[in-house]
Amino acid sequence: MAAVVEHVMGMPIVLDVREDIGAAAVDRLWNWLRWVDAIFSTYKDDSEISRLARGELKLDDADPAVKYVLGRCEDLRRETGGYFDTRATGRLDPSGFVKGWAVGRGVTLLEAAGLRNFAINAGGDVWLAGGGLPDFEWRVGIEHPEQPDSVAAVVEVRDAAVATSGAYARGEHVLDPHTGEPPHDVLSVTITGPDLGVADAYATAAFAMGDAGPNWTARLRGGYQALTILADGRVLSTPGFPRAD
Amino acid sequence: MRKKVVIVLSAVSLAVPIADAAAALSATAAKKVVTKKAAGASAQANRWGTVTVNVTVRLTTTGSKTTRKYLDLGGSYTYHTDRSQYIMSQALPILREEFLQAQSAKVEMVSGATYTSEAFVQSLQSALTKV
Repeated sequence: MAAVVEHVMGMPIVLDVREDIGAAAVDRLWNWLRWVDAIFSTYKDDSEISRLARGELKLDDADPAVKYVLGRCEDLRRETGGYFDTRATGRLDPSGFVKGWAVGRGVTLLEAAGLRNFAINAGGDVWLAGGGLPDFEWRVGIEHPEQPDSVAAVVEVRDAAVATSGAYARGEHVLDPHTGEPPHDVLSVTITGPDLGVADAYATAAFAMGDAGPNWTARLRGGYQALTILADGRVLSTPGFPRAD
Repeated sequence: MRKKVVIVLSAVSLAVPIADAAAALSATAAKKVVTKKAAGASAQANRWGTVTVNVTVRLTTTGSKTTRKYLDLGGSYTYHTDRSQYIMSQALPILREEFLQAQSAKVEMVSGATYTSEAFVQSLQSALTKV
């Protein structure tokens, strides 16, 4: 089976499977992501997140998945010193965690169907399961933030998440919650690690920290590694970052 | 959300392999070379317009082994304003050149986070799945 693309959660999601798999397992993945979108979308007026934001729904009455996600987001807000904040824009928006978390749960659905070697790319945030058969690992390019199609670095990983938060053309979307300003001095932050939702939140937080991000990422635990591209062209990575090139 | 607003994809175009302009030629009896062209999905690059990427790849089959080399990257775009036309017309040649550089790294997935290039990456990704 080759790769398939499905439009879910407001973006095309690519699934690259290197083994035979029944279509049913893939359908379960898309159905799960559609459910997540219906519940968590900030663009759907009737999603639970939209209703929570408008005060029409109490957290006690929300779906258990919503309670779980918002709880994890609060953990991450504390862990990142407030730099990952679902209310950074003034309106409840847990999307920075939801996408990776949803893909991570989707991964367990595919693994339950016996899949071991596949990759999912959700809008630039990637989960790599097993290897890119026949290769032992997957090779993932990190987009160069100033040269939109060139690859700034290549990582080789198995069973890992790769999430990137970047600046230009989207500076208005990632703000330092403490200043309300876009971060300076940093172009992009890529995090690798065991959980895509956490990696995505860490990437967002480290990017929002600006030039303080690299020092913060150096203290990450739990198998998370970082590569930061600074505006002056320097590329800083943590010692265990799985860079291949 | 950082990326949510970025891309609206026409799901219909995904199912349609647009171009299969195959120019086959045979160098030796044991070696088969096929050039294929595949188009990616059209991706909405936020307010700038839509981007469609296509990829030309040369598949060389020797015995049971097939190697692929990406020969060219093309693309088309729509635009809403003079400014977005300008941006896209500037961006596509750059994207093309850098794709050809990037492919030498033989990456299978791309992690990134930008407007037009995210649309590009996704369209490219869907083109790559077709060759």
